[in-house]
Amino acid sequence: MKADVDVFANVTQSKDGSKNRVWEGTKAITAPCSPVTENRQFGSKMTDSKYFTTTKKGEIFELKAELNSDKKEKKKEAVKKVIASMTVGKDVSALFPDVVNCMQTDNLELKKLVYLYLMNYAKSQPDMAIMAVNTFVKDCEDPNPLIRALAVRTMGCIRVDKITEYLCEPLRKCLKDEDPYVRKTAAVCVAKLHDINAQLVEDQGFLDTLKDLISDSNPMVVANAVAALSEIAESHPNSNLLDLNPQTINKLLTALNECTEWGQIFILDCLANYTPRDDRESQSICERVTPRLSHANSAVVLSAVKVLMKFMEMLPKDLDYYGTLLKKLAPPLVTLLSAEPELQYVALRNINLIVQRRPEILKHEMKVFFVKYNDPIYVKLEKLDIMIRLASQANIAQVLAELKEYATEVDVDFVRKAVRAIGRCAIKVEQSAERCVSTLLDLIQTKVNYVVQEAIVVIKDIFRKYPNKYESVIATLCENLDSLDEPEARAAMIWIVGEYAERIDNADELLESFLEGFHDESTQVQLQLLTAIVKLFLKKPTETQELVQQVLSLATQDSDNPDLRDRGYIYWRLLSTDPVAAKEVVLAEKPLISEETDLIEPTLLEELICHIGTLASVYHKPPSAFVEGSRGVQHKRLPGSAGSGESADSPDTGSAAGVSEAPPAVIPSQGDLLGDLLNLDLTPPTTSGPPPAPSSGMQMGAMDLLGGGLDSLLGGDLGGSPAMGAGFGAPPTAMPASFPPPVSGGLDDLFDLGGSVGMPMGAYSPPKSIWLPAMKAKGLEISGTFARRAGVIQMEMTLTNKAMSIMTDFAIQFNRNSFGLAPAGPLQVLTPVGPNQSIEVALPLSTVGPVMKMEPLTNLQVAVKNNIDVFYFSSQYPISMLFVEDGKMERQVFLATWKDIPNDNEAQFQIKDCHLNSDAASSKLQGSNVFTIAKRTVEGQDMLYQSMKLTNGIWVLAELRVQAGNPNYTVSLKCRAPEVSQCVFQSYEAMLKN
Amino acid sequence: MISQVFILSSKGDHLIYKDYRGEAGSDVINIFYEKVTALTGDQPPVVMSHKDLHFIHVRQEGLYWVATTTAADSSPFTIIEFLNRLTALVKDYCGSLSEKSVQMNFALIYELLDEIVDYGYIQTTSSDVLKNFIQTEAVSARPFSLFDLSNVGLFGAETQQSKVAPSSAATRPIQSSREGGKSEIFVDVIERMSVVIGSNGVLMKADVEGEIRVKCYMPSCSEMRIGLNEEFSIGKSQLRGYGAAVRVDECSFHQAVRLDEFDSHRILRLCPSQGEQTVMQYQLSDDLPSAPPFRLFPTIERDTGGRLLMYLKLRCDLPPKSAAINVCATIPVPKGSVSLSQELSSPDQSAELKLQSRAVHWMIPRFPGGTQLSALFKLEVPGLSSASMLEVGPVGLSFELPKLTVTGLQIRFLRLSPIQPGPSQRWVRYVTHSDSYTIRI
Repeated sequence: MKADVDVFANVTQSKDGSKNRVWEGTKAITAPCSPVTENRQFGSKMTDSKYFTTTKKGEIFELKAELNSDKKEKKKEAVKKVIASMTVGKDVSALFPDVVNCMQTDNLELKKLVYLYLMNYAKSQPDMAIMAVNTFVKDCEDPNPLIRALAVRTMGCIRVDKITEYLCEPLRKCLKDEDPYVRKTAAVCVAKLHDINAQLVEDQGFLDTLKDLISDSNPMVVANAVAALSEIAESHPNSNLLDLNPQTINKLLTALNECTEWGQIFILDCLANYTPRDDRESQSICERVTPRLSHANSAVVLSAVKVLMKFMEMLPKDLDYYGTLLKKLAPPLVTLLSAEPELQYVALRNINLIVQRRPEILKHEMKVFFVKYNDPIYVKLEKLDIMIRLASQANIAQVLAELKEYATEVDVDFVRKAVRAIGRCAIKVEQSAERCVSTLLDLIQTKVNYVVQEAIVVIKDIFRKYPNKYESVIATLCENLDSLDEPEARAAMIWIVGEYAERIDNADELLESFLEGFHDESTQVQLQLLTAIVKLFLKKPTETQELVQQVLSLATQDSDNPDLRDRGYIYWRLLSTDPVAAKEVVLAEKPLISEETDLIEPTLLEELICHIGTLASVYHKPPSAFVEGSRGVQHKRLPGSAGSGESADSPDTGSAAGVSEAPPAVIPSQGDLLGDLLNLDLTPPTTSGPPPAPSSGMQMGAMDLLGGGLDSLLGGDLGGSPAMGAGFGAPPTAMPASFPPPVSGGLDDLFDLGGSVGMPMGAYSPPKSIWLPAMKAKGLEISGTFARRAGVIQMEMTLTNKAMSIMTDFAIQFNRNSFGLAPAGPLQVLTPVGPNQSIEVALPLSTVGPVMKMEPLTNLQVAVKNNIDVFYFSSQYPISMLFVEDGKMERQVFLATWKDIPNDNEAQFQIKDCHLNSDAASSKLQGSNVFTIAKRTVEGQDMLYQSMKLTNGIWVLAELRVQAGNPNYTVSLKCRAPEVSQCVFQSYEAMLKN
Repeated sequence: MISQVFILSSKGDHLIYKDYRGEAGSDVINIFYEKVTALTGDQPPVVMSHKDLHFIHVRQEGLYWVATTTAADSSPFTIIEFLNRLTALVKDYCGSLSEKSVQMNFALIYELLDEIVDYGYIQTTSSDVLKNFIQTEAVSARPFSLFDLSNVGLFGAETQQSKVAPSSAATRPIQSSREGGKSEIFVDVIERMSVVIGSNGVLMKADVEGEIRVKCYMPSCSEMRIGLNEEFSIGKSQLRGYGAAVRVDECSFHQAVRLDEFDSHRILRLCPSQGEQTVMQYQLSDDLPSAPPFRLFPTIERDTGGRLLMYLKLRCDLPPKSAAINVCATIPVPKGSVSLSQELSSPDQSAELKLQSRAVHWMIPRFPGGTQLSALFKLEVPGLSSASMLEVGPVGLSFELPKLTVTGLQIRFLRLSPIQPGPSQRWVRYVTHSDSYTIRI
């Protein structure tokens, strides 16, 4: 308060030189219009509410007359009425000239009202606004500093270009005014003018004047100058406007002690953008900022916390001062929680960030986060979240006791969150799991519907974290089956029944009961039910055959949901082809869920810490996520730490280490947690063993690949693999049959080289070629080929690590492709690949993936992920991979089909330089599932009639003409889908010449 | 940075609209009102966004006080704090805070808004400074002006507590036989306690938040000195004096307070400005110097007729000379409770079943220290099961302890300098409120 008074003491001092502050000051200002004051008292007896009476027709005219009245008091009343109408949204712009006429008055109150009107309407009446300019300019010279400041302030608010030209001279004078009140107003005015006309401000040299004001003797002027400069600097990111160097920082720190609380906030926020040169400077700034922590204004406190949190990063952790600072941060944060609920909420959102970054600050303050019964619900929920983040072995008993109490409260939302929190505790603090489970069981006994449902959902998560430990509770869970009416709880219960089917005697009855209303269930429940019944079948095949058939047919035939249908088909095929494999897939061991699933991703957290106190910290999103345009979206980073490394930071707190070392994976937000856990269960159906890197992060990452990465690749960069480009370089599809394809020479060479690799009998497989060169993939080189072995399509790859570091965590995904190729299991790279090491992998492929026509048809876009990054490449597979074993057509059918396919669909190609006789060719082709149905010899020419069938059921019929002694063959292909002919022809050529 | 400030009535009428930066139109007022009324219970209402614009608001006296901002780096904390100050200022200037007083004083409020914020930068919220600039005079519904003293209340009581504990002592000045316009100064020590007592009677949590507030109507006072107990100590290790220590964990002061005599003599020096200000805030957690003021001994059972019987004994452990007033115990009861019959130990008590909040409210207007009261409630609950017995509790107590601070903080003296000419009055008042006093069953 004292500071405030000092700031403006000059206002009155300059007027009459007296140092008397309060009443004298006011008199000095109103003195010139003392006759009016009596009138005013008369006027103020009437209440202002009469201005809000409804508009009648002639009102504008009446007001006009009053505005032009000779009596000042009447004028003032009229202007008030005008402003009242303006506030409620009536259009009173028609009165503009009349109001402006009232501007020339020595009555400050009336002048202020007129200025208020001007600010509102000048923009819509720019020409008339010019009328006011003269008065403004005159007012800027007024002996009364209040009027000078008022004029400058109002002119800046009138966003009319023409006025700005007239503003420059008065502004220049006011920036150097003797009165600090005028100077601080002028400083802000520069920012206003800059917003309207930036060039003008630069040309007029206002920026330099503004910089000089940072050294002003009055702290309020300094604060406004800093605020104005910071804002202007944002639109010129590279200009060195707010040149923060040790000298200016020193000035700011000095002003910090003297200026008003709001000025302190400007200065602290500005300090937060400064990066100290070394840890010593950092410490000295911290020391000078620390006293702000006990300020009564919580906004000052939080701004100080931001500065300290940021500069702390620079301090060596072994420094004594570092520990002292940590201790000093806790009390002010706790104090913030005694404010109004709105402030508490914002404080809690910030504390949530701070706790994740530095849990040690508040680890002893658990109790302050216990909820009070009269907290608003949004405060309660935030407190709950922080309680879980602070939960540790030391305080878990206390936390659990609280949570249990909360779970019996009245507010449903809060109770649900509390129950869920118990589950999160169990997953976070292993030692507490048993107590958590028994607490949850107690809660289930209350039979309160929503409590039971939430409890079951979290118990499922606990099972995922600690398998085979708490199954004894299943019986209790089953008792509550009937009361479950929410999809999430039903899905969780079904998962539990399926997972532990062998221990539940009547599992089949339980699941059957859900099956009755299958079509009314939500997708989540349907999918779970399908999986659970399949699990049950695999565990108890004898009794449940009927049940599994029922669910499969429900899923595949009666459902409109593609996910459900596809999953149904997968299970069906699995079960019908290879029950053993099915067992391995469906009952595969699941990855454990991780305990810190709901942490904010570390880089985001770092950025958010830099934004403590701002909107970003409330939304928990970086500014770029909710602000368009350039202002304020530079990504901020914490400064690096000097001295000992971050990992040595806090060995005593496990979760702290967890934060800094967590993998940079996509972490689902808390709300999605359960969904993701379920999804984890969805992904392994095609797994033939435990996935190589069982972390939810990896799974999510892999999903992501398909979502975004490959789609964007579709547009452009198809030539990801130059080797493939040369090998299979797509010839134009409409190539004349008599012409040899221009690439065939190259192909020949390639295949000759690889000849020794290829298998003499059996399917043709092209030699390996480099798909992904090391230089494009941070040292990972992938070469590979496709092969069909014993009816299974395989992608055979050599992964070579040409980088300096170990590669692990390989995963693969395909983009949608013409024949629905998809990995039938995860990429089996079980050991890390060291530098200069190679590893051979065979990836079995299925053809049940999503289908999209590619150009060229056999193009396959692949994404490979490892611990370093994700890489994309594309390759082409020979279509002969897709020829299935039962591709031999009956002769009659062949004839009929040949005739049936229109001649337009026939394509003829020539194969040159092939020195096989017809029998050798026939047997060679048969190895690749091209079946010769008949052979005819006409005029020394052997005609072979052949058929083949693609995995998607397309038949291709061929007539191969071989003339003895002529190395050139002619192939005629007929197919209902003529676009495959070109590929089939290429395969013929490759197969025959290999 | 603040882009706009507006005040809406609870029905959404525009009372005040001020645009500082021309970044958005006045149509956002209606968007705000739609958003805020459409919120469900668990959505935090404090910060909401619409396209690039972020609304931050507080509710005071049924009015929405809203600020908008477009800059990502603006601090909601600052803005909320600012809005709270704005409401305090408007209250100081207009005498009271209501839709009517805002509507009547729109010209004054516009003038205030013009002075306290410029181009979105907050300039000052100090009434001392503003006094130099504000020209418009307040219009009041009731016949008193800004410095009329009849609206002087015990300030802490007017914020959160007025809902929980309507306090006659807090809203009525100690002596009403005063002539207006006399110089007076009020120093209030207000404490709020949050207590959780476990079902086994163990004190699980006890926090006290306290503040010293000064409301000054003394035009010529240049300095005042407030002396606290000499044995007042801050932090856990520090102990002073010979008597029982008066201890708090953490203390913060208004920036106008000078602390040069604080360390040695526990004296706060300040130049109070006109109006109201919080001079010192402090808190104490987990360590009450005395026993918690209330204990509850419940017996809850089901009688043969299937009714729920609650026999409650409530004991007040205050010193015998003190008394709690306006005590209200809220006992949550099972879903489906239909009716209540009661036996209370004295006629001035009352109890009723509130079906909407599913709770029994037991009201005790005055509860002297060292005494014990009991109540027997019989509840008709169709289909009462053992599980629904669990829905009883926890019991929440709200109360007010006049003339008492639980921390033991006392004002030793209050000195003004220069010595006031003419009659002046100095008031020191103490009160402790319940913030959240929970007894688990």
